[in-house]
Amino acid sequence: MKSLKLLALIIIPLGIIIAAVPPDKTKHFRLTADELLQEAGAGVQFISPDVVADMLVQNDPSLQLIDVRTPEEFDAFSLPGSINVPLSNLLADEYTDLLNQDARMNVFYSNGSVYANQAWMITRQLGYENNYVLEGGLNYWFGNILAATEPAQTSPNEEFAKYDFRKSAAAALGGGGVVSATGDAPTVKAVKPPVTAKAKKKPAGGC
Amino acid sequence: MSNNQNTVRSRKYLNPYLGGVLLGLVLLAANFISGRGLGASGAIKSVVATTIEVVDKDAVSTMPFMSEYAESHSGSPMKSWLVFQMMGVIVGGFLSGALAGRLKLKVEHSPKITSKRRLIFALAGGILFGFGSQLGRGCTSGSALSGMAVLSLGGFVTMMGIFGTAFALAYFFRKNWI
Amino acid sequence: MGPLAPYEIISENTNFLLAFFIGIAFGWVLESSGFSSSRKLAGVFYGYDTVVLKVFFTAAVTAMLGLLFMSLFGWVDLDLIYVNPTYLTSAIVGGVVMGAGFIMGGFCPGTSFCGAAIGKIDAMVFIGGLFIGVYGFAFTYGWWEKMYFAKYLGEPKVSEKLGMSDGLFGLFLIVIALGMFYVAEWAEKKFPREEY
Repeated sequence: MKSLKLLALIIIPLGIIIAAVPPDKTKHFRLTADELLQEAGAGVQFISPDVVADMLVQNDPSLQLIDVRTPEEFDAFSLPGSINVPLSNLLADEYTDLLNQDARMNVFYSNGSVYANQAWMITRQLGYENNYVLEGGLNYWFGNILAATEPAQTSPNEEFAKYDFRKSAAAALGGGGVVSATGDAPTVKAVKPPVTAKAKKKPAGGC
Repeated sequence: MSNNQNTVRSRKYLNPYLGGVLLGLVLLAANFISGRGLGASGAIKSVVATTIEVVDKDAVSTMPFMSEYAESHSGSPMKSWLVFQMMGVIVGGFLSGALAGRLKLKVEHSPKITSKRRLIFALAGGILFGFGSQLGRGCTSGSALSGMAVLSLGGFVTMMGIFGTAFALAYFFRKNWI
Repeated sequence: MGPLAPYEIISENTNFLLAFFIGIAFGWVLESSGFSSSRKLAGVFYGYDTVVLKVFFTAAVTAMLGLLFMSLFGWVDLDLIYVNPTYLTSAIVGGVVMGAGFIMGGFCPGTSFCGAAIGKIDAMVFIGGLFIGVYGFAFTYGWWEKMYFAKYLGEPKVSEKLGMSDGLFGLFLIVIALGMFYVAEWAEKKFPREEY
């Protein structure tokens, strides 16, 4: 009986403390700063606009473009099939399933690549995979995919092949010429594909 | 209960609350180190899966329950966390028993029943427990105790199933124990 | 920082080695609490010895409090801790079958290994039964497969189901456990047995 009282004296206050504190909802970083630096240094997150354009033309279902700019900018113009996840809302619960999955390839883009890269760094540090950054951002995309300039006659054949591809991609994507800020480029409203939540690396249980 | 016996017994065994706290700390260590609770019947499943494979290699594929298990454990089913843990249990139990002078080969039973009866019931109980642990995805330690520590609903349900049934049936088996 | 193995802070083989040491501690505590004796274990169902109830619930409460506090301090990520999936039907039916096995055999799998380690022949026979039971389930799996997967609820926590925070449910559990211990102390006085 004495030990029961002692036990009660210890665990009841502990129980009261744990009942009183708010539950921990913090998202913990999974990657160390060193690991992240190494990946960022190698530039593994960048994906070239040509690859993205090709996937868009092919209607590759594994591609998910994510616009990290503000909703106003997104409404004005966005790439076909993209969805808007403003950088300031990146960590909202509603986006967790979208960003932390292993079924599709998420490509972040912003005007340049700074904001997109920030989004990648944050999600990567949380341990999320399959997130990438559109190299050069929208600025590069306009200049090189939608308004591809013909290479000089002396250029190697690959340059011409690239040009032909970009031209056809631009045509397929309905671009070409200058894209105005009012957004006359057709924005296909994304039908959100079913999201498969990522299986966490949990130990197998069972008794 | 005479006072004398009480002191003898309490010296022999740990105070149950102290034992409980220590067991809780072991469980906590398992969760902190490996992200999982303790268990026992999973190790038995590994041994059974291995035995079936050694005796008759084709038999495993005819048992979906075992072949799924073998697939989920790359390499050998014996190379599992629970198998190593159960080997430790045997060593730990032996060391504790040896230090407390409890090592003795015997059949423990109520004086009212024979050893044979005790062993028959032990076998039947073992069969039921083995069967139930597979159906319920874990036994007292794996599902009930570890599950309760992480507040798993399944853990609580299994715990109530085990203890509730045992209490309900206690009357019918009272001769075996008291 | 924790749990260590899912974060890959320790390698798989280190994890196995530590499993062995955790097992030693597990077996040690079980044995020294008296869990190697079937008559002591069965005592809880007749009220003459409630060591099972006390150890079991104290352990569950201790580990639960430990995990909640470690999560509070940021030492362990509860998302990565294995929470048993809940298949309601099989959890209930499996629990009932195990309960019958418990009162008949006087052991549960973990304790039977402890008993066998110190030479209890009944524990060894019980272990033999366990192997037969597991084999029997695997052999007749086709008959139970439907029940085995029925009523899948995911990996819910009781606290989620009741709509409380983990901590509040923890306090609730502590109060229930202490209440049961109080009844257990009373029962031990009421149904004393001198010798077993």
